[in-house]
Amino acid sequence: MGQTYWKWPESCWLSKEIDWKKAEKVTAGVDVGTTSAQAAILCDGELFGYANIRIGAYFKKAADLVITQAMGDSGMTLKDIGAIVCTGWGHRNADYAAKFIDEVHCHAKGARFIYGPEVRTVVNLGGQTCSAIRLFDWDRVRDFMMNDKCATGFGRNVEMMCDYLKVPVEEIGKLSLDVNVDPEPVSTTCYAFADTETLGLFRQDFRAEPLSENEVYASHLFAIAWRALGVIGKLQPLDVGDVTVFKELGFTGGLAKNPGVTERIERELKVSALKSEYDPMLAGAIGAALLA
Amino acid sequence: MEKFKQLVENRHEYAKAWKAKTGGKVIGWFEPYFPEEIAYAAGVLPVRMLAQHEPDTISDKWVYASCYPASDLVNMFLKGRYDYVDGIVNVEGCQWMFNAFEVAKNTNPNLFQHYLFLPDYTDAYTSKDVLRSELEVFVRKMEEWTGNKITDADLDRAIDVYNTNRRLLRRIAELRRADQPVLFGSEAMNVVLACQVMDKAEMNDILEKFIEELEERKPAGDRIRLMLLGSETFDTSLEELVEELGANIVIDELDNGTSYYWNEVILQKDRLMALSLRYLGRPHNPIKDNNWRRRPQHIFELTEDFHVDGVIIAKQIYCHLHGSDNYAVWKILRERNIPFHFFERDMTMPYEETEQRLVAFMNMLRPGLTRLVGWHQPMTI
Repeated sequence: MGQTYWKWPESCWLSKEIDWKKAEKVTAGVDVGTTSAQAAILCDGELFGYANIRIGAYFKKAADLVITQAMGDSGMTLKDIGAIVCTGWGHRNADYAAKFIDEVHCHAKGARFIYGPEVRTVVNLGGQTCSAIRLFDWDRVRDFMMNDKCATGFGRNVEMMCDYLKVPVEEIGKLSLDVNVDPEPVSTTCYAFADTETLGLFRQDFRAEPLSENEVYASHLFAIAWRALGVIGKLQPLDVGDVTVFKELGFTGGLAKNPGVTERIERELKVSALKSEYDPMLAGAIGAALLA
Repeated sequence: MEKFKQLVENRHEYAKAWKAKTGGKVIGWFEPYFPEEIAYAAGVLPVRMLAQHEPDTISDKWVYASCYPASDLVNMFLKGRYDYVDGIVNVEGCQWMFNAFEVAKNTNPNLFQHYLFLPDYTDAYTSKDVLRSELEVFVRKMEEWTGNKITDADLDRAIDVYNTNRRLLRRIAELRRADQPVLFGSEAMNVVLACQVMDKAEMNDILEKFIEELEERKPAGDRIRLMLLGSETFDTSLEELVEELGANIVIDELDNGTSYYWNEVILQKDRLMALSLRYLGRPHNPIKDNNWRRRPQHIFELTEDFHVDGVIIAKQIYCHLHGSDNYAVWKILRERNIPFHFFERDMTMPYEETEQRLVAFMNMLRPGLTRLVGWHQPMTI
């Protein structure tokens, strides 16, 4: 079997400094999305362990596996966790969780943990969905928007395109930025049209100046950024007046690790997104654990 | 609740039975500005052509990329669901319903058909006269078709029945203003839908008894109060989902919801002018509310009167009316700090997706809203 370009690296981590047995409050959040699952365990509000895995076709198996991996070899069992909250589109598969909280609030809370309390706008670039969240200065969601059915095709679509184009998923973003000028984005109507159009760009030998490979990647990722911008643009303006101002922006979700998408969004919004040492894919799970 | 839902579901059987009983004719109407009083005065039963999702194998050929209610109507019409209808009328309005009307007309050339022009500039100086002359033409055509002369007394009787119906529906709406309403949004919507497919005189008797029942009913408890805006829908799946999640739609501003009955005909000697003024003065949908003179203000007043916590704006995909007013409606809601959530839906509402966004919206309105895992379990606030 040849290389599968879409497979991004899974990860798990366990704190060596924290002794969970001494913690007064142990909580966990499980974010079962459409293409990946994350679990985060917090001890007294501090990150103790996490896991981030690809789902494939088995949501239930992934939901069970991800929490097991997050607990690792710490000796912790599900019974030792005071409260488990699940979130995400596949949350029903985490049947060991006590309750469900919507992903908007989990990502908002997780983004504040990851990027600090100053974050005001959160853009969750997920596997098949995109949501934009506007926060008050305090811990409350002020407004949010989610993509509608026809605008799907975010992370999972990039994975599929990487396999088509035979380029590793971790590299496509950086390669797409190595162009002089961004070409026109491909169709933003739906990802099926976008895929066909992107593949069509490789066949355009008749063009006087055919697009380079990097330009084709740029065209495809620009379309994804464009769709996300459509969602972000509907948010309640931060300042008085009709002009939407984006300050203190934080990306979450898998595509937050793709600079080909995030930098294009930042460029259009004329902002620099906040940076963090945490994996932005963990935001939903960490938020769920904080809300537990 | 089941009673009105069943009346809507059994609307075809009802109309057939009405025809068998009275020997009268049934006229189907597509657009919400149809002056039913004139048809009723001629002894005809006006019924709203309500869409109902069925596996669709034929409508794409005729009305590609229409909104789903319109294409579903074409589907139903071509499959013979409306074979009891003797005539169809469309009023100048949305393009997709016009397409559905055209297909119905062209595939059934023997049907009585009429296209009634209603000015888009509803509050222009001459609009009332234009509509009055259109109504006059419609009266003549109805007289020719039915062979019945429509007298002022007939119109008075019809207007009285329709005004009574509107008043009864307003009484039900008033009950929804209570801190803890005694009826749910889905039930209220089914009541209005049933009114659009039944003989109004018969419906008025049912409503009188229903209101008596409501006054004895216990409130449904403290719930998040929501308002529903957006495109017309012909089912109550969204309302039911909202209720399942622990909220209640206490008011709507839909063409086939409160806008259908909100204002009455104020009688005057010139009956057709009275009708013209009623239809030009009703709460408008985006295509008829030129320059957004009335609709945003009307929406705001409803949010105030019904003490809503938030607004859901559900637009049908491909609806070309709703969405064009986002600027005006969003502006007025944001200026007044009324939270809202906008999304697109179609006839078959995706349960999971809509649930996710509605839960998030309700949590935004009342933090702490969580649900026990297991999808049959209700929300706890």
